[in-house]
Amino acid sequence: METAFELAPAIVLLPLAAFVVALLFGNYMPKKGALAGIVATAGSLLLSLYVMAAVATGGQHQETYFTWAAGDAVSETGVPTIEFTFGTLLDPLSALMLVIVSLIAFLVHVFSLGYMNDEGETGLPRYYAELGLFTFSMLAFVIADNLLMAFMFFELVGLCSYLLIGFWFRTESAPSAAKKAFLVTRFGDYFFLLGVVAIGATFGTLAFQGDGSFVAAAGEAIDNGETLFGFGAETWVTITGLLVLGGVIGKSAQFPLHTWLPDAMEGPTTVSALIHAATMVAAGVYLVARMFGYYALSPTALGIIAFVGGFTALFAATMGVVKDDIKQVLAYSTISQYGYMMLGLGVGGYVAGVFHLMNHAFFKALLFLGAGAVIVLMHHEQDMWKMGGLKDKAPIVYYTFLAGALALAGIVPFSGFWSKDEILFDAIIVGLNEPIFLAAYAMGLLAVFFTGFYTFRMVFLTFHGEPRSDAARDPHPVSWNIKFPLLTLGVLALVAGIANLAPVYKLTGLEITYLEFWLDGQYGGYADLTYSAYGDTVPFGTDYIGSETITLLIAAGLGLGLAVGGAVFAMVLYNVPEPEPHTENLGSARTVLRSNYYQDEYQVWLAENLTLPLARAADRFDQTVIDGVVNGVSSVSLFGSGRMKRLQTGVVTNYAALLIVGFIVLLVVLGVLGGWFV
Amino acid sequence: MIDAFTLPEWAALAPPLLLALTALVLFAYDSINPRSTNRPVLAGVAVVGALASLVTAVWFTLAGTGADGPDAGYDLWFVVGDSVTGTGAIDLFGGQLVVDQMALFFMIVVAVVTALVAVASYDYMAGHAYQAEYYSLLLLAATGMSTMAAANSLVTIFIALELASLPSYALVAILKDNRGSVEAGLKYFLIGALSSAIFVYGISLVYGATGHLQLEAIAEMIATGEADAYSGLLGLGIVMLIGGFAFKTASVPFHFWAPEAYEGAPAPIAAFLSSASKAAGFVILFRVFTTAFPLETTTAVIGLDWTIAFIILAIVTMTVGNFAAATQQNVKRMLAYSSVGHAGYALIGLAALTVDGGELVLGAAMMHLLVYGFMNTGAFLFVGLAEYWGVGRTFDAYNGLAARAPVACAALAVFMFSLAGIPPFGGFWSKYFLFTGALEAASANSALLLVAAALVVNSALSLYYYSRLVKAVWINDADPSLDRDFGGTPTGLYAAILFAAVMTVVLLPAFGPVADLAIDAASAVLVS
Repeated sequence: METAFELAPAIVLLPLAAFVVALLFGNYMPKKGALAGIVATAGSLLLSLYVMAAVATGGQHQETYFTWAAGDAVSETGVPTIEFTFGTLLDPLSALMLVIVSLIAFLVHVFSLGYMNDEGETGLPRYYAELGLFTFSMLAFVIADNLLMAFMFFELVGLCSYLLIGFWFRTESAPSAAKKAFLVTRFGDYFFLLGVVAIGATFGTLAFQGDGSFVAAAGEAIDNGETLFGFGAETWVTITGLLVLGGVIGKSAQFPLHTWLPDAMEGPTTVSALIHAATMVAAGVYLVARMFGYYALSPTALGIIAFVGGFTALFAATMGVVKDDIKQVLAYSTISQYGYMMLGLGVGGYVAGVFHLMNHAFFKALLFLGAGAVIVLMHHEQDMWKMGGLKDKAPIVYYTFLAGALALAGIVPFSGFWSKDEILFDAIIVGLNEPIFLAAYAMGLLAVFFTGFYTFRMVFLTFHGEPRSDAARDPHPVSWNIKFPLLTLGVLALVAGIANLAPVYKLTGLEITYLEFWLDGQYGGYADLTYSAYGDTVPFGTDYIGSETITLLIAAGLGLGLAVGGAVFAMVLYNVPEPEPHTENLGSARTVLRSNYYQDEYQVWLAENLTLPLARAADRFDQTVIDGVVNGVSSVSLFGSGRMKRLQTGVVTNYAALLIVGFIVLLVVLGVLGGWFV
Repeated sequence: MIDAFTLPEWAALAPPLLLALTALVLFAYDSINPRSTNRPVLAGVAVVGALASLVTAVWFTLAGTGADGPDAGYDLWFVVGDSVTGTGAIDLFGGQLVVDQMALFFMIVVAVVTALVAVASYDYMAGHAYQAEYYSLLLLAATGMSTMAAANSLVTIFIALELASLPSYALVAILKDNRGSVEAGLKYFLIGALSSAIFVYGISLVYGATGHLQLEAIAEMIATGEADAYSGLLGLGIVMLIGGFAFKTASVPFHFWAPEAYEGAPAPIAAFLSSASKAAGFVILFRVFTTAFPLETTTAVIGLDWTIAFIILAIVTMTVGNFAAATQQNVKRMLAYSSVGHAGYALIGLAALTVDGGELVLGAAMMHLLVYGFMNTGAFLFVGLAEYWGVGRTFDAYNGLAARAPVACAALAVFMFSLAGIPPFGGFWSKYFLFTGALEAASANSALLLVAAALVVNSALSLYYYSRLVKAVWINDADPSLDRDFGGTPTGLYAAILFAAVMTVVLLPAFGPVADLAIDAASAVLVS
């Protein structure tokens, strides 16, 4: 068990090594560095499984590897010192996430052989190096044992996604999309950084776990009714929590900072798969789960998380309905699905949120890789209206994609159903106790219908009906390196739900709730980071309609019914040989939806009419006042310098005179001060 | 572990003694074989002597010679005195000389600079007539400086100071065919004589007030109140002593000799004077003021906190030095003024002393002098390299040198940025510690805030002229009309420059131990 934990840093460092190798030697290697990445991520995956096994047999591990700064700064709560460290925290949550991330990264590397190498892309060493760095950053973020380390790797994740989204930097749109992703997420990260500083300054520690963690310190401060920076402890926890949440909203593409994500489709599809399933976007929600104990202290923060999540889920799902580009549909589905996770976490459903995070990682990676396979089949065509009829030409792609779609739509028994159902169930029981959450629940529920609709619209347009273009009639073949990841993920999309069949448990008493046990520390883990510990802290009560079973059946029935309804509706409209673009019938609503509710427009307007004038004013201030002062100082200095030089006349008698005069002045000043002459 | 072989106590003076011995060997060689220009032998002997001095000083430091406490130092083969049990400072000749950590620290600085200068001179002084004289004068001056580090009585201080000064005058003027050199030597000598006069006068006043020359004895007289009646006399004496030290450290207003002497002197000698001589001036300054005039008791007698004198001197010296350097066109002169400015920084070490503290800032000043010993010597040696190639003296003449000598120019960039105090070079850390030290002391005396502000302003200004030089060699293009004929690559100069550059960089990771050593040394003299 100890060996597993000692090897844990290798999980992180292997992809870093792959980064270096691919960068330096990629050009000389067969497959241009892909093999290094594959070997490294496979190694990471095996070691992650080893760590998972170690946690499953009752282990947990926290170790500080490196203290890079320590200082005597008294925090608001009176902790005299603060240390900034790099360390690992291996508990059920991080072990699970390690496996997810390294698995997806491994499959994406394999898939890239088919998607990038076989398609003759250039710049492959750079591509694989960046993938390696991306995986490294995310893994390091996952094992971080403190908030500052998490922040640093969070930023590195952002940088890597910038690099990868802009991989085809010679096109016009990719660099622009990369910049947008970077800037929008950076806007959120700005608040995150403030939050890190605030938490550090308040509690004198940034550790996630243990008695010395900021979570424990915050709980203590609230219990003691302390006042922090002029606020009540709970208010302050809410404020700092929401600041950190700024980073989460940016990274996990929640409203209103979701605008970068659809544009990020400019990157290679493999990168989209990695970003959406396991790294960049997942990082935000993972962070909420990682410091869930902190958010649990503040009902306000939880409420905001729930509402942001519920609203985003619905909002993004409606936009997904009218998209024609297969990747765009998936992009909006990602935003929407992460909204669900936020909703789940926001109502205290820690297990539900993490469960959906896991399932989503599998089925969304599957869908993106499937979309990548479709794009290969279609000779790089992404418009669904030019596809059709691929079902028979590429059955493996079709059936795996279908599995992903069923999971995404939340159709029983695919994995997405179980986790989405659990989230909605958690939301409704909290909502029954505190009616305001019913609004969040309603948004989440409504989004189920849209999800079912756009998912199957996508499936039918892509795979069913008659081929609508030459490329669709004669698809490009795909090889094993595309099929293998699809099959792996397809199976996972189908069966991953078994990890936590909560409804089955509640109906029959069969304890198929492994994930709940897992996250509750029943196999191994820290007591303060368990589901039940969080459950004790979460301030919400629950209620049922009638009994728990009845509520459960109603919730599940509603969810499933709406999902199937959406799917059937899509089938009616689009599962025909020659589908029509029915979105025309939406009238002006279609314009609004296709313009994404003018989100980009208003953000651009803000940038142009608010930020830009402000920046101009600052620039003017800088140019005139600051530069004026600086230039003034420099001319005064140069003038003074000229005078100083004149002191040195070159005549030694002058020197002697100046020396004596200077010395006597000093002597007299000191003598008068000291009273020596009286 | 075998028992360490114990040397007699006088052997603690081995670093200056070895330098003196080497000087005498050179003299002997010269008298047997006058007008010899056998440079390998002469420079070799000088280098070996300097290195021997360096090695013994480092050895003693590591062995804990002169350190307090039983745990000081490592178990080494042989030690001086009973240092395993921690004898503390070794007093010699009735306290006329003392060997403690601070003395050894500065002996190291002097020996390192001497070695570098001797190596560099091998090429620089090629074709020069007075080879043996040159090296023996160099070693004699170094002996004086090394002795200054150990001098513990006003009379030994004066002797050592003159021993360091007199050969220096001759060394500055050693290029006898060069008007600048001779003129600079004379000016240096005249200002030196004037300063020495003030210094000796100061000694006599202090002796008159206290009746003692030995530093601890003076302190005792002041502490017991027997000098109370002569407070004015003592005060004047102290200020005059400051005058004498200010000459040696090239502090304003006793700095007038420095720009001319550095410019006229051979570049290695300029390096030697601006680094080793300055460091030696500072070590006696530190010793006299911490040992003979402890802040608390002296303030009670003379009615004035003597740190005020250093606050004034530090601010004025920094400002004059840096401002005068800012618009110089001549590289060597710029370095000369920058060297004046650095004296101002090191003066903070005394300006920021307080009654109950100051180890840190005094240690910082010592560290600064050590780092300065490398970076400033290196910079002057680069000028020596340029002179060796005959590229001219102005910034413009240095344009585009990097194309010819990228390695040396990279080293120059290291020196310049380190002098300006830019991380990650050694100069940054010492300046940083001086700055924090000044800020800490500011809680007791708010005038220190002014010092800290002056430090920041002057550092910023200094970056301007230091980077000008870096820009000249790296960015500006050489004037194509100049047909420069470079000689070969002088091995000695290159070796010295590169070693100095490496040390300037390496001192950063090594800064922990160096800082500990300097702060230990500082606290030892402050306690005694």
